[in-house]
Amino acid sequence: MKNLKEMREVFVAGIGLTKWGVYEDQECYDFGSEAIFKALADAGMGWTEVQAAFCGSVYQGTASGHQAIKEVGLTGIPVVNVENACSSGGSSLRLAYLMVAAEIYDVVIALGMEKMPRGPIPSTAFRPWELASGFNIQVGNYALETVEYMKETGVTEEDLARVTVKNRKNGAMNPNARFQKPVSLEEVMGSRMVAEPLRLLHCCPLADGAAAAVLCGKDKLKSLSRGIKVAASALTSGVYGDGMPAAGIVNSLKYPPEVGILELSAQQAYEASGYGPEDIDIVQGYDTTVPSELWGMEKLGFCNKGEAAGLLRDGKFDLDGELPVNTDGGLMSRGHPLGATGLGQICELVTQLRNEAGARQVKKARVGLAHAMGAGPNSSITILTR
Amino acid sequence: MGDNSHQQIPLREGFWTSGAPDSGPRLIGSRCTQCGEVYFPKKPKGWCVHCQQQTLEEILLSPRGRISAVTVVRQPPAGGFYHGPVPYAYGLVDLPDGLRLVSQITADNLEAVPVGAEAELVIRPLYQNSEGREVLTFMFTPVA
Ligand SMILES: [Zn+2]
Repeated sequence: MKNLKEMREVFVAGIGLTKWGVYEDQECYDFGSEAIFKALADAGMGWTEVQAAFCGSVYQGTASGHQAIKEVGLTGIPVVNVENACSSGGSSLRLAYLMVAAEIYDVVIALGMEKMPRGPIPSTAFRPWELASGFNIQVGNYALETVEYMKETGVTEEDLARVTVKNRKNGAMNPNARFQKPVSLEEVMGSRMVAEPLRLLHCCPLADGAAAAVLCGKDKLKSLSRGIKVAASALTSGVYGDGMPAAGIVNSLKYPPEVGILELSAQQAYEASGYGPEDIDIVQGYDTTVPSELWGMEKLGFCNKGEAAGLLRDGKFDLDGELPVNTDGGLMSRGHPLGATGLGQICELVTQLRNEAGARQVKKARVGLAHAMGAGPNSSITILTR
Repeated sequence: MGDNSHQQIPLREGFWTSGAPDSGPRLIGSRCTQCGEVYFPKKPKGWCVHCQQQTLEEILLSPRGRISAVTVVRQPPAGGFYHGPVPYAYGLVDLPDGLRLVSQITADNLEAVPVGAEAELVIRPLYQNSEGREVLTFMFTPVA
C-alpha cells in the first residue's frame, strides 16, 4: 500500500454550502448544483477546469450526482456516485483526495447532497425481520449505546443536554443551519422522551441540503492563502466484534476488538497527517444524537473514557474554549441530510481555518478534524490544516 | 375474509424451536467448531464471519440471559415496516452461550425493566397481519 505522505499535497480550493432546511419545492439536484456553483466561485475556478466528480448521497436514486451535474454542465468528465450511508460525503471527499494525491487528476470536485425521503425508508443495514421487529429506529439504537455509556461513565441526562445547549448556541450564529435558535438546559430536559434516555432535543433533526468542495494540487490554487491542506482522509468500514446497534451490529462477547472502528480511523488519520489529538485546534464531531459527540471525543483520543462530559461542563468545547467542538452548531443545528453531512463539516472547518467564520470564528485555529460515522458501519475522519 | 385470529405464524421460520412440552422454546443459532463464535439467527450458508471458514454447526441457545441494555421507544420507527405496539421495549441480551443479541423485551411495566436483570425467552404475538393472522416473535422477559 502506498504511503500517502509520499504523494502529492492536496488542497481544498473552494467550498460551497447551501442553506439546510426543508425544501418541498426543490429536488436534490437543485441544491446539489447550487453547492457546486458556490464551490467553483469560492475556488475562483471555472467548471471546465474540473476533471472528475464524486457525488455522495444515500436515498437519491440512480446516478443522482449526474442529475446535479446536468444542471451545471456536461463536459465529458467522469461522474461517480458514492453511497456510503452517513459517511457518503466524507467518502466522496476521500476519493477526490486520493485521485489528486495520486496525480490521476489535478482538480476534482466532491459533492454531498440529500433530500430526505418523505415516505418509507427501507434500510439495508437491517434485515427485513429486524425492520419488522422495530430494531431500525436510530434513536433507540443510540439509546442502547447511551444506556451502556452512562452506566460505565456516570454521565447524566443533564450532561447530554449540555451538548445540545452548546451546539444550538453555536448554530444560532450559523446562517446556513436549519435551526438557528438557542435552547436552554430546561427546554432540552423537558422535551419529549423518544427512547429512554434520549429526548427529542438530544437527537439531530433531518434536513435537505448540499455541500461541495473543490480539491486540487498546490499549483492549481488561485489563492494560496485561502487554500486549506488536506492532511489526512481516513475511512474504516467495520471492525469485527465492535458493536454498533445503529448499523445493525452487536458486539462480540467472545472476540471483542483490540481497536474499535472509530479508534482505528483516528489512528490512521493521525498517522497519515503526522498530527496527534494534542495538535488539533477545532473539531466537527458527530452529534447525530448528543451522546455520540461525547464518546466520539473520547474515542478520538482527546480525553479518556468518561471525561468528555466534565470537560464540556468546564467549557473546554465551547466556541471560546480550548478545543471548540461543532462550531457551526453540529448536526443538532445544521440538521442531517445524510449524504451532505460529511462535506458540511468540511465547509465549516475550511471557513474556520481561513478565519472567515464571522461571529462564530474561533481563535488560533490551525488544524481541524471532522468525524462522521454511521450505518455500514463506517467511520470517516478528515484532518485539514492551514 | 374469515376470522384468522386463532391462526398464528412466526415472524420468520427457523428462528426458534418449540421444544419438548416440558422444556419451552429455544432460539436456533450457529456455533463455529473452529473458533467457538456464536451467532443468532443461524447463518444458513454456514460461514463463520470471524474466521472465514465454513465451519458453523446449528445449536439451540440458552433460553435464559441477562439484559445488558434496554430502551423504551415512544414513537413508531420511520418507514412503516414495524406493525407492533408502541411504546415497545427492546434491548441487548447476553446469553451464557457467549453471544449478545437484540430482542424485544416484554414486561408488565416496560419502564421498570432494570439493566442487569435476568430474563427468559418467550414467544409472543407482535402484531396481526393483513390476513388477520397473529404474527409471533421471540422476546425476553425479566424473571422475578
Ligand atoms: Zn469461526
